[in-house]
Amino acid sequence: MNDLSEIHVEVVGVEPPCKKCQATLKNVEEVASELKTSGCNIRVSKLNMASKDVIAKYGVLVSPSLVVNGVVKIVGRVPDKKEVERILRATTK
Amino acid sequence: MLIFIFFTIGYLIYSRIMAYSLAPTMKPADFHGLSIWEIPVAYLIDYFSHGWICLLFAFVAAGLVYVFVPKEVITKYMGGSKVTGYGLALGMAPFLTVCSCTMVPLFAGVLYTGAGIGPAMAFLLMAPASNILSILLTGEIISWELAGVRIIASATVALTAGIVISRTPWGKAIEKEHQQSGSTAQTAIEIVKPPLDERLWESLKFAGSLGKQILPYFLLGLVAVSYVEAYLPEDIVGTYLTGVTGILIASIIGGPLYTPTLVEIVLGKGMWDLGMSKGALLSWLMGQPYDVANALAVSRIVRWKVVLTYMVIAWAGSVIFGLTYGMLSGSL
Repeated sequence: MNDLSEIHVEVVGVEPPCKKCQATLKNVEEVASELKTSGCNIRVSKLNMASKDVIAKYGVLVSPSLVVNGVVKIVGRVPDKKEVERILRATTK
Repeated sequence: MLIFIFFTIGYLIYSRIMAYSLAPTMKPADFHGLSIWEIPVAYLIDYFSHGWICLLFAFVAAGLVYVFVPKEVITKYMGGSKVTGYGLALGMAPFLTVCSCTMVPLFAGVLYTGAGIGPAMAFLLMAPASNILSILLTGEIISWELAGVRIIASATVALTAGIVISRTPWGKAIEKEHQQSGSTAQTAIEIVKPPLDERLWESLKFAGSLGKQILPYFLLGLVAVSYVEAYLPEDIVGTYLTGVTGILIASIIGGPLYTPTLVEIVLGKGMWDLGMSKGALLSWLMGQPYDVANALAVSRIVRWKVVLTYMVIAWAGSVIFGLTYGMLSGSL
């Protein structure tokens, strides 16, 4: 895994976050902190799917959605930690 | 793992087909001798001893649909031509809103991509009325005929409201506000598809969480219905819930009353057992889209004029369809 790159992960969901958004965010944050110990820099942010900036950037998404480095990877379901890790590792290949 | 899951789902489908008539068998008259504590218990036992397979099937089906329908279709194609917009809104709405928290944000989303206020409104009205779980439950608890009619009626009302609102001056004003100057750059989408057995397992898990979420309300609803069936005199139902009066009353109460879909379906079944007409029952169920809480949430996105417009259209739709269905089925 490329240690110098930063991965920007955005969890897109409703505001205030519903259970699914919270679950997704929690999984992503836990994987991010685990991977940080092996030197990867992962920035996690939570976006509001109904905000105009998010829609201008990504269009209509179904909550919860996962965007990694500007590419929409998951729409409308909660990924478990294994899957989040798989996606993040694949991103910097 | 895969084989296990295929087997479980196959078995559920098989048992559902085999156990075709699993409705509760107690009639209102049966309740008259029971004490006030025994009524809900008797009703619940009667209901669950027959109905648990249907419920299980409905939740599993909803779970499967939710996981396997490609939700990114909305992201990819919304914002194209108006026709695509309406088609997507009506077609995807039933599958997208099994989790009710997303309904209003999705409506906002469709509006803000510049897809137009028409498709956004069509989505907003189609979603609560025809989401896959409420259709399945209407079918299981009341009748499949009603479920089918419900889909057609909701789709027509949603489409009409969308088109009408997009022609009104206040609707057009909102659309202008959100017109995207130049098309949005194509969103980069590379959806990750997990292996089949993981997705099947996820469907089952989702079905379970739906069940956990919904069952408490469902039980409350059943308790309420048991009292309704026991105490509401049948002649009142006969006078007020049949015929044109019935349709009008049902559409007026069924609308603004903020009850979870499930409770509305169960209460509807209770009233039907007591003699409510099919027409009035449809009007009652179609009241979903215009409840007060929904309206409040939406009014923060589009102004009240639009909200009132769609509420009136939805109400008119439920009355018209109630009348039509009542007349066509001979049960006005």
